[in-house]
Amino acid sequence: MTTIYLVDDHELFLSGVRSELSERFEVVGWSTDVDTATDEIRKARPDVVLVDVHMPGGGGLAVVRNIHETNPDIRFLALSVSDAPEDVIAMIRAGSRGYVTKSIDPTSLADAIERVASGDAVFSPKLAGFVLDAFSDTEPVEFDPELDRLTPREREVLRQIARGYAYKQVATRLSISVKTVETHVSAVLRKLQLSNRHELARWATERRIV
Amino acid sequence: MIAGLAGGIAARLGVSTVYVRAAFLALALAGGVGVLCYVVGWLITPDQRHYGSLIVAEEPPTTTQRIGLILAFVAVLIALDALGLWFGPVVWPTVLFLFGGALIWDRSSAEARERMARFARPSEGDQPRSRTQIFAGVTLMVVGVVVVLASIQSFQSLGPVAIAVLLTTAGFMLLFGPWVWGLFEDLSDERTARIRSEERAEMAAHLHDSVLQTLAMIQRTDDPQRMITLARAQERDLRVWLFEPARGPAGGSVREAIGDAAAKVEATFDTPIEVVVVGDCTLNDRFTPLVGAASEAMANAAKHSGARTISVYVECSNESVEAWITDQGSGFDPDTVSHDRRGIAESIIARMARSGGEATIISEPGEGTEVHLRTEIR
Repeated sequence: MTTIYLVDDHELFLSGVRSELSERFEVVGWSTDVDTATDEIRKARPDVVLVDVHMPGGGGLAVVRNIHETNPDIRFLALSVSDAPEDVIAMIRAGSRGYVTKSIDPTSLADAIERVASGDAVFSPKLAGFVLDAFSDTEPVEFDPELDRLTPREREVLRQIARGYAYKQVATRLSISVKTVETHVSAVLRKLQLSNRHELARWATERRIV
Repeated sequence: MIAGLAGGIAARLGVSTVYVRAAFLALALAGGVGVLCYVVGWLITPDQRHYGSLIVAEEPPTTTQRIGLILAFVAVLIALDALGLWFGPVVWPTVLFLFGGALIWDRSSAEARERMARFARPSEGDQPRSRTQIFAGVTLMVVGVVVVLASIQSFQSLGPVAIAVLLTTAGFMLLFGPWVWGLFEDLSDERTARIRSEERAEMAAHLHDSVLQTLAMIQRTDDPQRMITLARAQERDLRVWLFEPARGPAGGSVREAIGDAAAKVEATFDTPIEVVVVGDCTLNDRFTPLVGAASEAMANAAKHSGARTISVYVECSNESVEAWITDQGSGFDPDTVSHDRRGIAESIIARMARSGGEATIISEPGEGTEVHLRTEIR
């Protein structure tokens, strides 16, 4: 069974998610602050850490950065009430493999955790929209063609996700396998994490909300 | 300070003592008239200790009266000049300096005055630099005055005087600079505090009007769907309030219009709508029909599909604005829709056609519905 660890400073939310997920996952621990989380995650070595973005003491970003340095094999799924682009982009660039909002239903959340556990990326419609926006070709820039540009196929996959389709539906609609969809999304994740396309940051601060 | 004359006059005129002292000093420079005035004034003024407090403090003068006093004083100076008692060009800057100083003193708080007084008492110095500062300041001022006197005696013109004024000012800045700076800091601190408290008040008012009201409503309802809608509407509202900068000029953008339309449909039909917008452009007559058609498509999906959520994806590119309204609900056969259902035919397809755009509806029973709208940017 996939092991998960929860980090969230809202006790109420924490207990809710814990009971929702305990059937499909082994919850190996939870904490409400950055330091405890960092220590316990290093000891417990869960497959996936569910981390809240906004927390006192540096937020989920600090947890992801701390752990990513020492244990790059531990995977993160960011969970937030915010959809602020700068939060989303910051979490992804710190090493999170996905970003979902807290309004997600329990089944979708569980699916997202499985997907992250198997090394794939989880893009919500919003995140897909952000990426399309940030990597828009409207502005001419000097770029690293490998990292700073989405392929037409990746773009098409993201547009389908932004339109609300699940990976499986995207696969059917584009007549490709689910594995291929996952490969495309992971490639986009990598670009998002490694690209130093400068307007990524500028874009994120300009678009405070979508 | 010597005989209490300045204080008495100040009380009589209703202005701050410091101005009167400055006036006496200025007059003293003008051929010693000030000193004479002070002595005469001292002799002819009744002593407060003998006669009790004869001087009743007046109301503070009005602005007009203040201007009158200033003009009268300037007139006296000009008259002295005409009488040949003038001390030379140095008096004007000195007068300005004295009254500038008096003004700063008068307008500063008690705390600031205390701080200024500390500079005059270096022995108490909790600041190690102050002694040097004062020494340097005084030196510069003395040099300034010496140069002024030298320049007047040799009847040199403006050059050395300018240097003297400069040196005096530099001395003044060294002596009082930190204090003047402190004044500005006090001012900006106060402003920041005020803005903060105003923001807090605004935040409290907003939370009270919106969030608390919604929470109250949620507690009073038994319908879970209604609760979700209330919560979502509140969430959307709060998000806009917190994160969205002030909206652009009237007319707005496609992004805002789509968001508004979704919020409206969401509130009417209790169905969550997930909106994703990529890019943006100004909402003009060309795109208003697209927003209207999108709104109609959202309403249709909310009414008929039975889907749990509706997805709206809008992309504004250099060539076109496109919108996809997708639900994964019951779907329908577009060919069998009865003609009296004007929603699709009139509000979506015909509206888009009229505006030079196009609408495609893909749906199958059991497979959900996708409405695609597209308008080119000419």
